[in-house]
Amino acid sequence: MNNNYYLRYEKTEKTKYVSHLDFVRMFGRAMRRAHLPIAFSEGFNPHPLLTFALPLSVGYTSECEILEIVLSEVVSPDEIMERLNAVLPDGVRILSAHTGKSNMKKLDIAHYEVYPEKTPSGIIDFLLMKEIFIEKKTKSGIKEVDIRPDIKDIKVSLGKIEMILSAGSRANLKPEVVIAAMNKYITGYKSGDCRYHRKQIFDAEMNVI
Amino acid sequence: MTKIKNLDKVYSRVQKATHYCGGELNSVIKNPEDVQIRYAFAFPDTYEVGMSHLGMKILYHILNQREDTYCERVFAPWIDMEEEMRKESIPLFTNETQTPVKEFDFLGITLQYEMCYSNILNMLSLADIPLLASERGEDDPFVNGGGPCAYNSEPIADFFDFFTIGEGEEVIGELMDAFKEWKKEGGKRADYLKKIAKIDGIYVPSLYDVTYNEDGTIKSMSPNCPEAKEKIRKRIISDLDSVVYPDKFIVPFSGIVHDRANIEVFRGCIRGCRFCQAGMIYRPVREKSADTLVNDACALINSTGYEEMGLSSLSTSDYTDLQNLADRLLALTEKEKVSLSLPSLRVDNFSLDLMERVQKVRKSGLTFAPEAGSQRMRDVINKNVSEEDLIKSATLAFEGGWNSVKLYFMIGLPYEEYDDIKGIADLSEKVVDCYYNSEKTNKRRPVSVTLSVASFVPKPFTPFQWAAQDSMETLYEKQLFLKENIRNRKIRYNYHQNDISVLEGVFARGDRRLSKVLLRAHELGCKLDGWNECFDLEKWKRAFSDCGIDMNFYTRARSYDEILPWDIIDIGVSREFMKNENEKARLASVTPNCREKCSGCGAASLCKTKKGCVCFE
Repeated sequence: MNNNYYLRYEKTEKTKYVSHLDFVRMFGRAMRRAHLPIAFSEGFNPHPLLTFALPLSVGYTSECEILEIVLSEVVSPDEIMERLNAVLPDGVRILSAHTGKSNMKKLDIAHYEVYPEKTPSGIIDFLLMKEIFIEKKTKSGIKEVDIRPDIKDIKVSLGKIEMILSAGSRANLKPEVVIAAMNKYITGYKSGDCRYHRKQIFDAEMNVI
Repeated sequence: MTKIKNLDKVYSRVQKATHYCGGELNSVIKNPEDVQIRYAFAFPDTYEVGMSHLGMKILYHILNQREDTYCERVFAPWIDMEEEMRKESIPLFTNETQTPVKEFDFLGITLQYEMCYSNILNMLSLADIPLLASERGEDDPFVNGGGPCAYNSEPIADFFDFFTIGEGEEVIGELMDAFKEWKKEGGKRADYLKKIAKIDGIYVPSLYDVTYNEDGTIKSMSPNCPEAKEKIRKRIISDLDSVVYPDKFIVPFSGIVHDRANIEVFRGCIRGCRFCQAGMIYRPVREKSADTLVNDACALINSTGYEEMGLSSLSTSDYTDLQNLADRLLALTEKEKVSLSLPSLRVDNFSLDLMERVQKVRKSGLTFAPEAGSQRMRDVINKNVSEEDLIKSATLAFEGGWNSVKLYFMIGLPYEEYDDIKGIADLSEKVVDCYYNSEKTNKRRPVSVTLSVASFVPKPFTPFQWAAQDSMETLYEKQLFLKENIRNRKIRYNYHQNDISVLEGVFARGDRRLSKVLLRAHELGCKLDGWNECFDLEKWKRAFSDCGIDMNFYTRARSYDEILPWDIIDIGVSREFMKNENEKARLASVTPNCREKCSGCGAASLCKTKKGCVCFE
């Protein structure tokens, strides 16, 4: 009998350099330590059934991560959260646990906060550009891509740039690519090193997932 | 405590920040203000290699059990990290609290292989600690070495304040206690060294003077103060059941070489292969009971969540209670959905039943180590494995569904003839034939036999410690000869770089004069020599020639009456025994293993209890 649950969690400073693949393995081990009745995949190398909404890039923090898990027995969501939080390393915390499946398949948009060394004085001209071409490495070589359609909004305040960008399997734009474009197209602008934080994820109608 | 600036910036620029930033599960967090002793434990290679090392896990655990001590880890940074550190003037720092290593009371460096020596110098220089022990000031940490290479530490003696000879579990506590006493007494740096020189198993190289004969051999090596002992006897743990074993391992975020929960089954090896240093220096064999091992396993599975468990020893299938242990571990691992891996199986007592139960699903590769191709040569090295054993084991494996085996061999062994090398090709051919001669194998699947051929390196404290090492040219010739003799396309032949083997041999049996070469090699930029992308033989050759030191002096054969640089160390196994073993090797005469018959090597005298020790079975 498979029981579906989904968890909301945060990934903070102390674990922000853990890559997505390493995070997946780390989470599987935490589930073992929590003695949760894990449902395993079939096949030669059984692994815990975990589904992540949207992989987080190395170096990013987040307060809105979603993960679906499958257990072979019924456990109350509160107990899952409690048991996992007791064994997770510092820097990962389950914020809430729920029965059933999440809406992660509808994921379409993400909200990021970027903290650069220097913020640009204005963003209007950049947003008014009809096309924003940036070089992207693909399997067949370097390609010019237009990222403008995937920028929904950018807001600049003191020390912080907020970005609403396409996210998910349909189209996914990383804020670091937008920063690269800003460095390229905003005259005289040099962002310096940036910190990145994922704030929220939404469906196409901007409903929180 | 200095807070290092710009670390986050540096982390975001390097490939593997998790190798430096700490925070892994089960890493120990203490307030440095609350302890009296800060100990930086260094593995002089990269994180993924160092974090796989069992000795570090044990000593980290033992030191951190003490309330007065905080032990933290440090590794050799990879090239990208080192570049960033030097650019931003960041000194070498520990993973746990990002404290500069220079601010610690001790810097303990584990010495697992000779080719990490350049990393030691590089790490000291990154830490801004004077490379030479003689140039360190009162505020610098004590630099302490331990591990297998400490048994002949002469080539690196000038860079260390002291060495720990043997197993560290007990002696490290004595060192910490002595440190507190010394602090209370308000002594100078030199006073601490003299104080600990009296502790069994501690070697303080600066308390000894070495003189040389005209031919370059050692004339004398003697204490220059009353505190220094004539001979330093290695320390061992007599009863492994009573010694602390970590109930927690740090679980790295990123994959490491051995990413699993390991339990240590026994120390030492009953076999007595004449080339093998581990087989001599870890004598006598001491086993843990199955009860202890099952407890260790349970604790580690619970605290780590590892999906794989491993057994660690020099030759797992020699464990006396293996069947019982395997039954109980398998019951545990099946329940917890943990896979069990069994390394180091021997050709002569290989149990297919056990292999099959362990590897229920995956048929990964199997490795056998006949070590030499001809029976005569296997007798020379006292491997005590016959061709029949290998053929039987290979046939069993093939019939059990495996279709790929790996064979380990060595070339360049003492008393070796070209016929013995040809024997490697012939034996491999016979293993391929096993597959086709059996009626039970699936002939539609291709069979593959992979040869891994290493060049022999004579090591201190082995019966072959007096032997000559083949030159790079001879080793190359022998490899080509072997290649020519392999005609079967089912056989794949891998050989180890022989230039690194020669260098390894030079440092393994080297003396104090080699520290000059290491300093020069460091200046020339040698580091991470265990990594193909970094090793540069030309730089090493230049370092030797710049110092006017001839490698051939160190690869030559020694006579029995020559004073060897490591004679000051007593491993409990007598020189007479080694000599006798070498003479027997010359005659291709074998010595029975410790369990069959005691050969009186002397190691029995090291044990304080008889429990679990092979000498008293």
